[in-house]
Amino acid sequence: MSYKITEEGNIATVHLNGEIDMDVTEKAKEIIFPLIEAKKEVHINLSAVEYMDSSGISVLIESHQKAIELETKVILKYISKSVLKVIMMAKLEQILNLG
Amino acid sequence: MSENIVTVFSEKEDFQVNSSSLKDVRSFSREVFKKLNLDQDLKDELVLAIAEAAQNIVKHAYKNQDTKDRMEIKISLKDKELEIGFFDKGRQVDKDNVRHRKIDDIKPGGLGTFFIQEIMDAVVFKEGDKPWINHLVLTKKI
Repeated sequence: MSYKITEEGNIATVHLNGEIDMDVTEKAKEIIFPLIEAKKEVHINLSAVEYMDSSGISVLIESHQKAIELETKVILKYISKSVLKVIMMAKLEQILNLG
Repeated sequence: MSENIVTVFSEKEDFQVNSSSLKDVRSFSREVFKKLNLDQDLKDELVLAIAEAAQNIVKHAYKNQDTKDRMEIKISLKDKELEIGFFDKGRQVDKDNVRHRKIDDIKPGGLGTFFIQEIMDAVVFKEGDKPWINHLVLTKKI
C-alpha cells in the first residue's frame, strides 16, 4: 500500500493505493488517525485500492467512529468496484459516509 | 464459468504463518482461479474468503505470534465443487467459539468469518491429520 495526502483548508484527502490487508492496517491507521485527531474533515480516496479485506474495513469503521467522537467526519470517495463490493457485503453502505 | 471446466484439479502451496504472507496467499489463489477460468467476480470473492481464512490462522491459531511454522492451502475442484483446505499447526480451534459478530453491531473486527460464510456454501472445522493440528475445509459449488 502506498499513499499521498493533500490538504486544502480543513479538508485532508488521503489517496490510498494498492492492497489493504492485515499487514498494512497499522500503517493505514497511522496515516488517517492523526488527521481525524487534528479535527480535519478526512476524505479517503479509494479509487486506486484494488483489494480490501476485513482488516481494511475495520480501519474504515474505526476512522468513522473516531471522527464522530471528535465531531468531524470521514468521507469515502471514488470507491473502487472491488472495495464497494466488500463494503456492501459488510452491509456498511448506509453506515459509512460514501461521497 | 466457462464450459471448458477442468473436472478434476488440485493445487497446494505452503506459506509462512504471518501477515506478510497474505499477499502470497492471494497471488497463489488468483493463479489457481485463472487456470480454472472462473468469472472475475467469483474469483474476487473466493480470493477474499481464502485470504480471510489464512488471516484467521495468523490471528487466532497463532495469536499473531512470531513462528517459523508454515500453513498449507490446497484448492481442489471436482464435479464442479470447489474445496479449499487449510492446514496449520497452531492452537487447536474450538469450533464452538468460531462465530462472526452480529452484522448490525457496527464495530471493527469479527467480519472475516462473516465474509467467509457469506461467500462459501459450507465451512467445516476438522482435526488435522498429523502433522497438522487444524484442518479447515471451505466448499462451494461453482
